[in-house]
Amino acid sequence: MFRETLIGAWSLLVGMKVTLSHILRAPVTSQYPRERIEMSKAYRNVIRLIEIEEIGSHDCIDCQACVRVCPSDCINVEGERPDGMRKKRATLFEVEFALCSECGLCLDVCPTNTLGYSREYDQAGFRRDDFLYDLLDEWRDKEEGVRTRLREEEAQKAATKAAAASKVTAARKAKDEAAAKEEGPAAAGDAGNSAAEGEA
Amino acid sequence: MMRPKSTMELVPGDDETYYLNMGPQHPSTHGVLRLRLHLEGERILGAEPVIGYGHRAHEKMAENRDYLQFLPNTSRIDYLSGMIYNLGYCQAIEKAMQIEVPERAEYIRVICAELNRLTSHLLWLGTYLLDLGGFTPFLYAFDDREKLLDILDSVTGSRLTYCYGRFGGVSMDVDDTFLRAAADYCTYFRKRLDEYHALVTHNIIFRHRTKGVGVMGPELALDYGVSGPCLRAAGVARDLRKDEPYGIYDRFAFDIVTAEGGDCFARHMVRMGEMEQSLNIIEQAVGGIPDGPVLAPKVPKRIRPPAGEHYFAVESARGHFGMYLRSDGTDVPVRLKLRTPSFVHVATMPVVLPGTMLADTVAILGSIDIVIPEIDR
Ligand code: SF4
Ligand code: SF4
Repeated sequence: MFRETLIGAWSLLVGMKVTLSHILRAPVTSQYPRERIEMSKAYRNVIRLIEIEEIGSHDCIDCQACVRVCPSDCINVEGERPDGMRKKRATLFEVEFALCSECGLCLDVCPTNTLGYSREYDQAGFRRDDFLYDLLDEWRDKEEGVRTRLREEEAQKAATKAAAASKVTAARKAKDEAAAKEEGPAAAGDAGNSAAEGEA
Repeated sequence: MMRPKSTMELVPGDDETYYLNMGPQHPSTHGVLRLRLHLEGERILGAEPVIGYGHRAHEKMAENRDYLQFLPNTSRIDYLSGMIYNLGYCQAIEKAMQIEVPERAEYIRVICAELNRLTSHLLWLGTYLLDLGGFTPFLYAFDDREKLLDILDSVTGSRLTYCYGRFGGVSMDVDDTFLRAAADYCTYFRKRLDEYHALVTHNIIFRHRTKGVGVMGPELALDYGVSGPCLRAAGVARDLRKDEPYGIYDRFAFDIVTAEGGDCFARHMVRMGEMEQSLNIIEQAVGGIPDGPVLAPKVPKRIRPPAGEHYFAVESARGHFGMYLRSDGTDVPVRLKLRTPSFVHVATMPVVLPGTMLADTVAILGSIDIVIPEIDR
């Protein structure tokens, strides 16, 4: 009994030594509202549309992949195909952050990699609407310019393509004509026959 | 098999005994668990856990979404070892579909899972001592846990409910900073473990409160299907990481920590020992991690495990977490049964608690380290 008391008292002293040694260490608590902490680079929060360099804006093409994959059903995207453009552009991108589980599945499926996380970290709200994010908000004033540019680019591309294509067809036509001239009407008739057979 | 004494029927006319509801709102249950206790004075005659307050129908949810969409649910089953559950689920699907995981991803998974095991045991240590009335170790443990969470946060982006695993790998590669931080933490934490032993394990009050209290012998444990630290504290050396190695656990040298007695103190010792073993594993994994991709190149877009039954189990911080999957070949499971350890552990309470004192209930309940959402799922 006496022995146990001694051992017990000793164990308490040893414990005390540990606690005392901690008194001298620097405090580990961050004084939050006065002191802001740095979020890690992988930090996840509400999703946002990030800038894609070649576009100069976001590149959401309203493919609905993120809408379909989201387990919480919290994304709503609508889009339209602007006149003279091949790709669509989003006209509405809403995220109900109160439902989002920050799983990152939407980022994984986005074909244009235009989804990322925002760096906000102390959102609080009193109403549900406070967590309804309109992701297009930050891009809206650029949208007209982007569309005009994209349209021009596309038109240019189409023009060069058409030019190239017409060049090719012109060359082929010339070649065919030359061949037809050389081999005479019989060969041309053959070609006609075989084409008919192919169709049959 | 030992059966709980059926003392829970109200005994009319007996005014010496009474019934007490402990919980559902009780600080020591760390969640919403209700224990119906039948007491005579302060002695417990019978105990009956009443569960279901944290039921979120995870298994049902699995039947209503595709395999990928269930991923965020996994880490919310047991929020304290979410990473292990999350990666375990990925491994289960990979096994069913025979997807090869790149080497680097396997190493990352081991590191992250073990870091997560450390956070879970640390939280247990802190809150358990808080239950027993020791406030200081709680602060130390949470400080250490916080450092770990920062490390995990730097690569997964979340602190508790990770969604880091993907079928065929992990969602993001780790950098050298992360690996160095993990290795540094191991060195740092070894010293801290000594401090915890000095402060807690050797403490006479702690020993008196836990030794010989809440004995769960090997027979009882095996009868009920107890697993994890609670089983090993009963002297049964069983650890899925060793017995049925999944992932690349067979490549690492570590011991199965066991203890004798099956009491609260033994469970404490097992968890302390396990933290040390986790450090060993992390150090080996950080030393041996190869370069390469972290996601398998050819993962099918639609996850459709072959029709039939699949089973996969991992060792979570609390024990044996099993997933039984019935697939009909479509991209939605027919049934996903989740076998969680705490559910089993809390079921032993009607046998373990009777005969002990009311004040020991807190010590016993804390020592089996239950996570309520994981009981209810
Ligand atoms: S992170 Fe997950 S839950 Fe959130 S919007 Fe994306 S897919 Fe939906
Ligand atoms: S997946 Fe990407 S491109 Fe498709 S709708 Fe979503 S944000 Fe837009």
